[in-house]
Amino acid sequence: MTEALKIPFFHIYLPGLCGSGLTFCLDGFRLIYLAAGIIMWSISGIFSLEYMAHYEKKRRYYVFFWATFFATMGVFLSGDFYTTFLFFEIMSFTSYVWVAFDEKAESLRAAQTYLAVAVIGGLTMLMGLFLLNHLCGTLEFQALGQKSREILETGGAQAKELYMAGILMLTGFGAKAGCFPLHIWLPKAHPAAPAPASALLSGILTKTGIFGLIVMSFGIFFGEFNWGLLIVVLGLITMFWGAFLAVFSINLKRTLACSSISQIGFILTGLGIGSLLLAAGEEPVLAVRGTLLHMINHSLFKLVLFLCAGTVFMNLHQLDLNHIRGFGRNKPALGFCFFAGAAGLAGIPGFSGYVSKTLLHESIVEYGVYTGSPWCRLAEWVFLLSGGMTAAYMTKLFVALFLERNPGKQEEFDRMKGSCIRPLGQSVLVGAALLIPLFGLFPGFTMDGLADLGQDFFVPGIKAHPITYFSPENLKGAFISIAIGGSLYGLIRRFLMADGRYIDGLPKWLDLEDLIYRPVVEKALLGVCGTVCKYLDRYVVSIPVTLFLQVSALVCRSMDHMADGVILLARNTTHSQIPSGSPKKEKFGKILGTEPGGKEGVTFRLFRIKTRIIHLCGLVEESFSFGLMLFSIGLFLTIGYLLLVFFGVL
Amino acid sequence: MKEMMLAAPVFLPLAGGAALLALSGRQREKDGPAVRIISGVFTLGVSLVIFWLLNRSPKDSLVLFRLYGSLTVKFQMDPMGSVFLGLIGFLWPLATLYAFEYMKYEERKPAFFAYYLMTYGITAGIALAGNLVTLYLFYEMLTLVTFPLVLHPMTKEAQRASRKYLYYSISGAAFAFIGLVFLLSYSATGTTEFIAGGNLNMEAARGQKNLLLLAYILAFFGFGVKAALFPVHGWLPKATVAPTPVTALLHAVAVVKSGAFAILRLTYFSYGTEFLKGTWAQWAVLSATIITIAFGSTMAVREIHWKRRLAYSTISNLSYILFGAALMSPLGIMASLCHLMAHAFMKICSFFCAGAVIHQTGKTFVYELDGLGKRMPVTFACLTVASLSLMGIPLFAGFISKWNLIHGAFSLGTGWTKGMGRILPFMGAGVILYSALMTGIYMLTVLVRAYFPKDTSGGPDRTETEENISDPGWRMLLPLMVFAAVILLMGIKPEVFLQMDRLRQIGGTIG
Repeated sequence: MTEALKIPFFHIYLPGLCGSGLTFCLDGFRLIYLAAGIIMWSISGIFSLEYMAHYEKKRRYYVFFWATFFATMGVFLSGDFYTTFLFFEIMSFTSYVWVAFDEKAESLRAAQTYLAVAVIGGLTMLMGLFLLNHLCGTLEFQALGQKSREILETGGAQAKELYMAGILMLTGFGAKAGCFPLHIWLPKAHPAAPAPASALLSGILTKTGIFGLIVMSFGIFFGEFNWGLLIVVLGLITMFWGAFLAVFSINLKRTLACSSISQIGFILTGLGIGSLLLAAGEEPVLAVRGTLLHMINHSLFKLVLFLCAGTVFMNLHQLDLNHIRGFGRNKPALGFCFFAGAAGLAGIPGFSGYVSKTLLHESIVEYGVYTGSPWCRLAEWVFLLSGGMTAAYMTKLFVALFLERNPGKQEEFDRMKGSCIRPLGQSVLVGAALLIPLFGLFPGFTMDGLADLGQDFFVPGIKAHPITYFSPENLKGAFISIAIGGSLYGLIRRFLMADGRYIDGLPKWLDLEDLIYRPVVEKALLGVCGTVCKYLDRYVVSIPVTLFLQVSALVCRSMDHMADGVILLARNTTHSQIPSGSPKKEKFGKILGTEPGGKEGVTFRLFRIKTRIIHLCGLVEESFSFGLMLFSIGLFLTIGYLLLVFFGVL
Repeated sequence: MKEMMLAAPVFLPLAGGAALLALSGRQREKDGPAVRIISGVFTLGVSLVIFWLLNRSPKDSLVLFRLYGSLTVKFQMDPMGSVFLGLIGFLWPLATLYAFEYMKYEERKPAFFAYYLMTYGITAGIALAGNLVTLYLFYEMLTLVTFPLVLHPMTKEAQRASRKYLYYSISGAAFAFIGLVFLLSYSATGTTEFIAGGNLNMEAARGQKNLLLLAYILAFFGFGVKAALFPVHGWLPKATVAPTPVTALLHAVAVVKSGAFAILRLTYFSYGTEFLKGTWAQWAVLSATIITIAFGSTMAVREIHWKRRLAYSTISNLSYILFGAALMSPLGIMASLCHLMAHAFMKICSFFCAGAVIHQTGKTFVYELDGLGKRMPVTFACLTVASLSLMGIPLFAGFISKWNLIHGAFSLGTGWTKGMGRILPFMGAGVILYSALMTGIYMLTVLVRAYFPKDTSGGPDRTETEENISDPGWRMLLPLMVFAAVILLMGIKPEVFLQMDRLRQIGGTIG
C-alpha cells in the first residue's frame, strides 16, 4: 500500500542544496494547500493594507509577512523531512517577528513563549529526524514508508527506536499544531500578533504541524494501532481542553485562539481514527476525508473570524469583550462574516463545518461499530460535548459583539457604521465568508471534489462512497451538539456574567505555562545546570591547584625544618649543653687583642669577620635549597659523565 | 626552489613583525601610515602566497633544518593542513582591515600590529607543520607571540589575564610534550612524521597499550588547553580583555583552533584511529568533550558580559570540533573540519559585531544593548546571521556541521552493542541539542534586546549621544558583511563553499 503513498504531479530533487539536498513535490493535497496559502496570504495582505496603515514599522511587517509565506509553502511542498524541517524552522523564526511586532511587554512575553516552544519543538524534532535517518537511512517520504514498514514488521529494538523517533517528531510537529500539552503558545501569541498575522498563524501555520503528522501517521506508522491510539487520545484531550479554555475566555482573539486548539484536536482525532481503522483492517475513507475537509474548513473559518476580530481591534484597540460588546450592531456585512465563521465552526447544518464534523463523527461511530470497543462511546461523547462547547463560546462571542448594546459607548460605535472597514477589505472578507455557506449547502459539488483531490495524500487508492450529508441520522449528531451548546450557553450567562459584565471564571494559576513550563525551564533547567556549572567553574581548577600548592609548600617547609628539628631533638636529649663557666680564657685573649686606646685589635677584627662568614655558610648548608643544589650538581656531573661516554671520549 | 615557498607564509610575517617592532622604537612614526602600510602589505602578500600554494599540487614538503637526529623542522602541504591554512589565509586580511579601524585611537599600535602579524606566521607554521615536533615548536611559539597581545591594554585585569594565559598554555604544552616523547619512542618510522592513519609501530605499541593511551590522554588535554577543554578552559573567558580583533581572530579562530588542529593531527595522523578506537582513552576524551559542550553553553547563558559570553560559547563550540575528532571515524573528522570552518566564520562575525558595538558605543554588557538593532542595522543583521548559524538553524553554516556531527555520532553508536560506545555517542548527540537550546537562549536574548527593546518610549535616560549611534565605518562593516555572506553561502551550498567532497576525502584516507 505504502509504495504508492501518493503519485505526485511533479517531483524535484535539488542535490547539494543545504547539505543533503532538497526535495519538492506537488500532488492533490499539496495543490489544495498551495492554493489555500496563496488565497489566504492575498486576503490577509489586502486586509493588512488597511490594518497596518497607521503602524510605523510596516516594512518590517511586510518583509516577514512574505518571508513566512515562502517558508510555509516550502513546508507544504516538501518531499522529504529534511526539506520539511528546513522550511519549518525558517517559518518559526520569521513568524516570531509577527508576535513580537508591537513590542509591548506582554507581546514580548508571548513572543518569548512562542520562540521557546518553536525552538524546543524544533530541536526535539531534529533529534527525532536524526534517529529516523539513522534507522531508515533516508528521509524521503516514499522511501521512508517502505523502510519503516520493514522495521515495524520485524519488530524488536528497532521498532522501539522508530517509535521513539516518532514521539520526538510528534513533539515538534504537535507543538506547532497546538496539540495539548504544547498548546500554550496559541492563547498568548494570537492576541499579541496583528490580526492578519493571527489569521495566518491559526489558519495555516498550525496546519504545517498537521502536515507533518499526516506523513507520519500514514507514511511511517501506517496502520499502527499504538500510534493511532496515541494520536486519538491527544486529539480528544486537545479538543476538550481548547474548548474548555475558550468557554471561559473573555478576550475576543484569545477565545478564537483557544478555539483553534480545540479544532486542531478535532483534526487530530480524525487522523488517529484513520490510523486505528487501518490497523483494524478497514478503509478509513470517512476519517481521511473528514480530517482533510476539517483542515480546509478550519483554515477558512479562522481567516474570516480573525479578520473580523482585526476589524474590531483596528477601530477600538481593545479585545476585551466588556469593552467591545455591541460594536457589531448595525454592521450587517461584518455580522454576516462573523456569523458564517461562527456557524461553520459550530457545525450548524448548511455551513461547511457541518460536513467535515459529520464525517469525523461518523468515522468514530464506524470504528465503534467495527471493533465494538466501549471506549468509542466515550470518544463520541467527548466529540459531541466539545462540539457543544464550540457552539456555546461562538454564541457567546456573537451575542456579545452583535446583539448586546454597549452600556457606555454604543452611540460612538454606531457612528463607525460606514467607516469601520474600507470597501476593498470588506469585499474580500465577505467573499471569503460566502464560501462557507456555499460549501455547506452544496457539499457534493465542492467539498467532495476537494476531498477526492486530496485524499490520496493520506491513503492512496481508497474509494469514497456517496454520502447523504443531510440525512436524519447525520443531522442528529449536529443537533445533539447544538442542544448541548444551547444549554451550556445558558450556564455561561448564569455563572460567567456578573453585573452584566463578562468575567473570566478560570483561576489564574491554571495556566500550564506559568504553572509548569516556565518554572521547569527557568528554575529547574537553567537554575540547576547553571549552578552546577558555576561551582564547577569556580572550584574544579582552583581546588586541585590550591591543594597542590598547599601540599608542596608543606612538604618543602617540613624538609627545610627537618635538620633544625633533629638538632633540637639532639640538644634536648643526648647533646644537652653544659652551662658554661666564667669566660676567663677569653678575657686574657681580649686583653692581648686590645690595642692601646681601647680599640679592637686587627687580629680580633679578622677573627670576627671569619666567624660571620662561617655563620652564614652554616645557615646555607642547613637549608633544603643547599641539598637541592648538591643534588643538581650531582646530576650535572652525571650528565657530563654520560655525555663524555656518549661521545666516546672515555 | 619552489619548495622554499612553503616557508614563505611563516617567515614573511615574522620579518614584517620585526620591521614593525623596529619601527615602534621611533616615536614620531607611531601615528603615521607606515604601520598600516607595512602590516597591510605583508598580510595581503602572505595571503596571496597561501592561495598560490593552495592552488598548486599539495604534495610538496620542505625540511627546513634538523634539530637533532631524526627531529626535523619540516613543512608540508596536505589536505587537512590546507583546510586550516586556507581558513586563516582568508580571515587574516579581513581581520587586519577591521583592526585598522578598531585600533585607531589605541596606543602602542606598532607593537600591536607587529605581534598580530607575527601570529599569522606562527599559525601558518602550525597549519604547514609536517611532523609533530614542528607542530609542537610552533605551538609553543604561538603562546609567546600572542602573550603581548593579551597584555596589550596593560590594565591590571589584562596583566592578570595574560599571566593566566601564559601559565595555562605553557603547562599545557608540557603535557603535550609527554605525548610527543612517547610517540617518538614507539613510532613506526622513527620520526614524528604525520601519516594518515597513524604513525605507531603497532607491535611495539600493543605491549605498552595502557601506557601509550595514558600518554595520548595527557597530550589530548595538553593541546586541549588551547582548545579550552574543560577543566583547562579558565584562561579563555579572562582573555577577552584583549582588544576585539585579538579576541575575535585569535581566541575564536587562530589560537584555539590551533589547539583543535593539533588534537586532530595527534589523533588521526600520529597515534592513529586504529590504535585508539574503542579504547578507554576514546571514551575518556569523548566524555570530556561532551561535558565541555554542556558546560560552555550553560555558562554562556549565565554570563552577562557580552564578549565573555561569546568566549564561553567558543568553549562549547570548540568541543563540538573535539567531539568530532574523538569520534575517530571518517565521518567524525569530516564533521570536525566542517565545524572548524563554520565556527570560525560565525564566531569571528559575532565577536566583530560585539567589537563594533564597543567601538561605537562603549557598551560591553548584554543588558545595555536595548534598541541598538535599529541604530546599527548592518551590524545587527550580520549578528543575526551569525547567531542563527550558531544555533544550527537550517540555511546557515552551523546547521550543516551539526548535522554531520550528529550523523557521525549515530554511526559510531551503531557499531557497539553494549558498553560506553552504545551510550556516549547518543549522549553526545543529546548534549549537542541541549547546547543548541542554550545557544538559542544566549544568542537570541541579545538579538531580542537589540530589536525589540523593553522600553520603547525612549525613557529619560536616553541621552543625546545615544541618538547619534550608527554603524561603524566601511573597514569594520566590510569584514562583517563578507563573513555573514560566507555563512549563508556555506549553509545553502555546502558542497561548494565548505568543499565537502574534499573534507570527505580527508576522512576517507584516514578511515
